[in-house]
Amino acid sequence: MHSTIHCESSARQARDGARGWALAVLLGASASLIGGPGGAADGVPRMADGHPDLSGTWDNGSGIEFVQPQKRGDSVCVVGCGPTGAAALATAATAAPAGRPSYKPEFAAKVADLSARQVETDPVLRCFSPGLPRIGPPDKIVQRANEVLFLYDDVSGNFFRIVPTDGRAHRKDVSDAYLGDAVGHWEGDTLVVETTGFNDETWLTDDGAFHTKDLRVVERLKRTADTLEWTATAYDPKVLTEPWALKTRIAHSTDQEIAEAAPCIERDLDHIVDGSHHTNPR
Amino acid sequence: MTNSSIGNLAIRRQWIAWVVVTAFSSLSLAASAHHSVAGQFDNTKRAHLTGKITAVEWINPHTYIHLDVKDEQGAITSWRLESLPTAMMRKAGLTKEMIMGDGSPVTADAILARDGTQNVAWVMKLTYADGHYYQLAGE
Repeated sequence: MHSTIHCESSARQARDGARGWALAVLLGASASLIGGPGGAADGVPRMADGHPDLSGTWDNGSGIEFVQPQKRGDSVCVVGCGPTGAAALATAATAAPAGRPSYKPEFAAKVADLSARQVETDPVLRCFSPGLPRIGPPDKIVQRANEVLFLYDDVSGNFFRIVPTDGRAHRKDVSDAYLGDAVGHWEGDTLVVETTGFNDETWLTDDGAFHTKDLRVVERLKRTADTLEWTATAYDPKVLTEPWALKTRIAHSTDQEIAEAAPCIERDLDHIVDGSHHTNPR
Repeated sequence: MTNSSIGNLAIRRQWIAWVVVTAFSSLSLAASAHHSVAGQFDNTKRAHLTGKITAVEWINPHTYIHLDVKDEQGAITSWRLESLPTAMMRKAGLTKEMIMGDGSPVTADAILARDGTQNVAWVMKLTYADGHYYQLAGE
């Protein structure tokens, strides 16, 4: 009798187990179809709430796309390595310009002066934070249920931004900052980040593109399975004639992890004899 | 990079016998992530130095390689050789330790400071005693 009960119990457990598996498979299929947690038909990983999971390390070129190293036995060619490197360099040199912010006429002279004296005036050349949007797309993203963390591995140092996505307002307990204060929300599968609270010690881009403390930057981030599209628009109506929309950047998923940035210590500017400089893209 | 040498210009100095400056008609330098290399270094004069690397400063916006060069009288001159930012080095798989080498003599091809600062140069290529090299600027 005892044995019979045991057998019935085992059979029930087996039936329940089979139902459980069937349910799990059904739920899994449904989740996959609707883009549920853990993955979707489009290859975009998703959070439990269904939003895309932007987490990952993203290679956006960092402005050094022209570096196409070649391994030559134990030797390494880093820059200008024959046809491949030359072609990459030519491509970088002829790439479509990112465009420039359009300043009101009364600020044209200031921009021209800052640009002409960039070696003296560019904060980035003295290892200060590039600010936003000059810093470009994040190099790494860590996403949680209520916030997204942006990490940067920049020549000026490591930087981070915290982007709340739970409806919080901008902080009032922090001072104006180089990278401002961000809040985010989702528009469909696009993360929209609005940042305010900037100081006026950074530039929007090269060549004297200053801004005021009223700067507002809106970034939009959207991922596919292995790419991250980043766009940014800078609003500073005090000095700009119109919002400045940067060229869209596409970052690619990479397994090359970011690292602790080396300290940035500038020693050369006093030795620049002609004030020449080149662009400092990110 | 065009590297059309128009001849070697040997510069003799009492304090250093191993420096050879080569004049180039055209030498483009594209590999800087910051200020213009050409604004600081004279692309018409090349130094050819052999010595021992005593330190590598793994810093941004540019790394520095310190090279002790001994002249024929045994006097040592310390050179500060500027190079690529760490991100470019890392992209190429190069580390501070690889640049440092094993203490054997290293030959550096470099170009000299435009403002006349002594013993400061931008390094184009490092060649180590066993023949392996790191090309750090365009040829």
